[in-house]
Order: sequence, then C-alpha cells, then structure tokens
Amino acid sequence: MDNKDFIVGPDDPILVTGASGFIGPRVVEALLHRGFRNLRCFVRPSSRPSRIEALNAYGRDGARIDLVEGDLLCPEDCTRASKDVMVVFHLAAGTGEASFPDAFMNSVVTTRNLLDACLQHRCLSRFVNISSFAVYTNIRAPRWRLLDESCPIEGRPELRGDAYCFAKVKQEQILTDYGKRLGIPYVIVRPGSVYGPGHDGIPGRVGINTFGVFLHLGGFNTIPFTYVNNCAEAIVLAGLKKGVDGEAFNVVDDDLPSSRRFLRLYKENVRRFTSIYVPHAVSYALCYLWEKYSSRSQGQLPPVFNRRRWHSQWKKTRYSNEKVKARLGWTPQVPTAEGLRRYFQSCVDMGRHA
Amino acid sequence: MLKVAIVGCGKIADAHASQIQRLKGCEIVGVYDREPLMAKQFYERFSVKRYFDDLTGLLSDARPDVVHVTTPPQSHFAIARFCLERGCHVYVEKPFTVDEAEAQSLVELATERRLKLTVGHDDQFSHVARRMRALVQSGYLGGPPVHMESHYCYDLGRDGYARTLLADRRHWVRNLPGKLLHNVISHGLARIAEFLTSDSPQVIAYGFVSPFLKRLNEDAIVDELRVIIAEEERTTAYFTFSSQMRPSIHQFRVYGPKGGLSLDQDHETLIRLRAGRFKSYLEKFVPPVILAEQHLENLLRNVKTFLARDFQMKSGMKYLIEAFYRSIIEDGPVPIPYREILLTARMMDAIFAQLATTRPIVDAESPA
Repeated sequence: MDNKDFIVGPDDPILVTGASGFIGPRVVEALLHRGFRNLRCFVRPSSRPSRIEALNAYGRDGARIDLVEGDLLCPEDCTRASKDVMVVFHLAAGTGEASFPDAFMNSVVTTRNLLDACLQHRCLSRFVNISSFAVYTNIRAPRWRLLDESCPIEGRPELRGDAYCFAKVKQEQILTDYGKRLGIPYVIVRPGSVYGPGHDGIPGRVGINTFGVFLHLGGFNTIPFTYVNNCAEAIVLAGLKKGVDGEAFNVVDDDLPSSRRFLRLYKENVRRFTSIYVPHAVSYALCYLWEKYSSRSQGQLPPVFNRRRWHSQWKKTRYSNEKVKARLGWTPQVPTAEGLRRYFQSCVDMGRHA
Repeated sequence: MLKVAIVGCGKIADAHASQIQRLKGCEIVGVYDREPLMAKQFYERFSVKRYFDDLTGLLSDARPDVVHVTTPPQSHFAIARFCLERGCHVYVEKPFTVDEAEAQSLVELATERRLKLTVGHDDQFSHVARRMRALVQSGYLGGPPVHMESHYCYDLGRDGYARTLLADRRHWVRNLPGKLLHNVISHGLARIAEFLTSDSPQVIAYGFVSPFLKRLNEDAIVDELRVIIAEEERTTAYFTFSSQMRPSIHQFRVYGPKGGLSLDQDHETLIRLRAGRFKSYLEKFVPPVILAEQHLENLLRNVKTFLARDFQMKSGMKYLIEAFYRSIIEDGPVPIPYREILLTARMMDAIFAQLATTRPIVDAESPA
C-alpha cells in the first residue's frame, strides 16, 4: 500500500499507549516498518524493564522513539503525551482481572482523559481504539451465525459477569460519544483472540482451568484467533488509512482452527495434560444453573458463569474478516499454521504452561 | 426505610453495595465519586437511585440517613466529618482514619451530635468470629485473656499488586504514614483490641523491608512486621504481619487461664484448645481424635451455612452493616465500641512512630 493512502506523513507524531504490552511493541514495529519515524510510546512506570529496553532499541535505526512514562489516570500525563500528536493508537486498558471498578477505571476513565487531552491540542487526525470481540452479544443469534461488524453490541454488559466486557463496551460508548458530540475522528478495532510469543495460556473460548482440571468447552467451535503481528498490522492500517473514520473493524486471521484442533496441537507441542470435554448442551445447562444459583444465593457464587457468557464464548459462531480486508487492504502476513508453530515454541521456551 | 449513600466507587464499594442490597429495610439512595464516570458505572451496575458528582449534592438532594465512606484512607476524616456535620450516621472503611487524633475527633463529633459511627472491621463479624466471641463471652477461657496471637498476612504476588504499588511512586498507599501496613493491619490489630482492657498498652514494634521487595529495589515499604503488645503485666499479644511467610494466613489465637481458642479466618474454622492433659500416652492419642472431631464439626457447619446460602465471602460485612443499622434505628449500642476503634488507631500510631525511627526496636511509650 502506498503511503499516499495514509492520513499522516512519516514525520508526523504518533502516540502508542500500552506500548510495552503484548500488542504495543508490534504496533511500534509495524509503524517503523512503514517508515513512520516520529513515535511516542506511552508506558506505565510498572512496565517491565526488558520491554522498555526493546522499545528503546527501535530508536537506534534513526527513528525517533520518545518514551513517555506516566499514568493515563493523570490528566496532566495525558496532556503531555498527546501534545502535537496526529494519530493515537490507544492500546492501554484494564485487564478486568481485579474488579469491575478497576477494569472500568483503567479502560474508560483513561480513555476519557486521553480524549480530553487530544481535544485540547486540536491536532488529532484519528484516535484508534483497541476494543475486543468481548463487546458483541450473541444471545439472540442462531448457532453458526456469522459474527461481523454489523452484529449487536452487548446491551447489558454488567450482566455478563465479566469486568473486561463491561469496560470495553463502556469504552466504545465514550469514544463514540466524543466522536458524535465533539467531532473526535476515531476508528475502533476489535481483535478476536490475540495470540503469539510472549502471551502464554489457552484462551477461555477453548476452555477453563478454574476448577483445577481443564474443562474443554469449545469442542468443534472455531476460535477467532489473530496472530499478534497480523493484529498489529491491522491496527496500524486502521490508524493510517484514509476514509475509514467512524468505522469498526473485526480482526481475525484466515484458516482458523477449531477449539479441538488447537487443544490437540497445544498438547502435542507444549505439554500434555488432562482435559475433560464438556458438550455444549452440558456447558449451557451448567452456566444456566450457576446463573440461577448465584442470583438465588445473593452472590454466594459470583455470577461469572451465565448464559450471556456462554453465548458469547462457547456458542458455535463463524467469523468474518471481509471488512478489514476490503476497507483497509489488510491480509494476515503470518499464516495460522506458522503463527501457532511460533506460539507453541514460545510457550516451550518460556517454560510457561496454561 | 433507612436511606443509604456510598461515597467512593472503587472495588470495596462493590462489596458494600452487594451486602446492603441483601438487607431489608434499607435502600441506596445515591452514590458519589469525585470521578463522575466511576459514580455513573456504579449507578448502572447496582441500580441505585441517583449518582452525584459532588458530595454536598448527594447529602442535600438524596438526604441519606447513613453514609458509607469507601474512599482511600487519607480522605476518610474529612468526608466523615462533613457527613456527621450534616446529620448523617457514618460507616467508614478501614483504616478508620490516618491517625488517632482524627479518629478521636470523629468519635467526639458523633457523640456530640448523637450520631453513630463504625469502622469496616468486618472480619470480626464473620460466622467464625461471632462463634468465637460467643464462646469467650460464655466464659470458655476461664477468665480474662492471658495471651493472644494475631497473624495477618498479605500475599504481594496476588493480582500483580506488588508491581503496581512498587512502580507507582504516586500510589496513595505510599502517602500513608504506615504505607502498605497502614492499609492492611487494622483487621489483625482490631482482633487484639477487642480483648484488651487497658486504653494504653505498651507496643513494641519491629519491622523491615523483606528481601523480596529489596530485590525489586524497594526500600521504603515495610512488609514484615512483628509487634508485642502488653498491658500492665496482665494480658499480652503478638501481632504478625508478613508478605512472605507461607501459608499466607489470617489466624487469631486467644488463651485464657482455663482454655484457648484458635480461629482460622481463611478456613472459617474455630478450634477449642483444651487445658487439661490426658494421662501418659493417652495425651498422644486422644487429643488428635478430639481435634479431628472438631475439624469435622467445622466442616459440617460450613457446609450447612453454604447450603443455607449464607456463606458469602463478605458475610461478615453484611452482619456488621445490619448491626450498625439496627443500632441507628433502635438507638442502641454500636457493633464496634468506639474504645476499640480508638485503641486500634492508637496501636497503629505507636507502630508507625517506631518504624519511622531508624532503630528497629523502641519502647512504644517513648517513641524517638
């Protein structure tokens, strides 16, 4: 793709938040690869030193990499980070592991702060918000429905029992609100299940290890994987390509494996462990019972398993990447077979296990 | 219907709202957070009546009878005082205040205005803690406690908390006089305070930064603490806080002249420690059977409570809130006597004053 298709030039300042996270360094790398050489990387003080060092190393080839250390909860830090910036790639977010308030604060309040800071500077050409497939509801959809960008967003995310989903839905809402009310030009990128070296663990869509034994819940479901470098490339294109303001893009790779196939390959290549397959009807019934008991016992069991979550994570669904290919000209550079090979090798090298 | 408001919409506020909504005869009429988005998300998730972006508006428009203060500790005093001055009863999350002077001031104000105060030492109202209290009150110990041991541990590896706290030089925990300890130890000290009779026990504290934190280049956060508490050569207590010992326990033992009790908060078990001895080798064989029987009894009790759907992780908080509301409605005694609140604050002050000095061990009554 020619750079004349892009909304900014190679020397225009670009901000990447969450630059020391899992996807962030690949976004920086992809931007550098495309010739962009004025990058500002926002990192938390708690970022791992090795990741900071890796970002610094990118600057040795003549590109300007400014590391901005701070906290997106601090408006002054946001103002400092976004000064003169033309494109923001906003990858930083709460993981949702701690609590709803924590996930919300680190995804929504931070996004609002960053948007306010961008408004002050009045030079923003695009704000790219990294969201997730977690925002989609699947509750009224038939089995094997095609999930694409036209599918409805979860209307009651607080009922999913998933802090990450709640925070991501609210993050999108505040972004679109700023877009409508204040004219912030934005694009939303919703990756599927991002995998690759440096990110251990088996996606929840495949199964869970909550009860001390791995329960395989995915069965023959397709897992919406996207290899981290492919995902980073899609994010970069979403931030640069002309004529896509206000759009949302789902990002999944081609040749997606089934849950069963992924689990088999994982066991063959990383480590063997016992897993118990739970048929869909059974997992649905268990989620239903858990939901009812959680409600009846006034939260004696937390409402983490429920029908909304089952529909979202374990219902048979197909995934489309037509829009991201057609509108952004994206193609996954790393085929799924190669991506999985690298991922499994990384798991072995790191000595980590799911 | 008791009208309740919550100030501060962080993680612990979720627990408060969940437990309040389990109670009959009360409703959450409003919430406030200085960050309006946080107040709004709370309002959406808990279906409370209204949310506010200023405290004055919450108190004047929603007109709550009681306010729960669930903000960081540095703001507890100012918010609680503001609420008391406007005629609200106040439940303050732990630690009650930053120091004893603030605690004393709030207690005086509440007493003067004939309003009620309590602190979020909800561990003292869990099922097992209430069982222990009932046994002590029934005279099981055979007299006043001779000695107590309170272990309150904190696993820094949990939730990546250590990394966040260590890296963030602006983290509010760092600005507390006792830093990490200040935010955590009041639960364990309050257990001891409950059974002390003196208002000014001697406190001898020794604290240090663990090798684990030192390896992470942290030298300001004390995460290992040992305390000896003694009142007039009568009752003594040891308090242990550790981030490193495993298992990471939350236990309390109290010994009287005729028997002792051992409470395990994590397992929700209470073991009666008998005073007598069996003859000869029977002492080796019979007590393990008795202990096994007691553990089985605890198991059955826990299962029964679970089946009765009254085994929520924060069931102690529900009981404490309910008891506090009852004291408001009936104008009865508060569930946690003010003396205990002040004594806990006093012991914390003494500990932090000693840790602030360079000497590892200093007499509590003459801190350098």
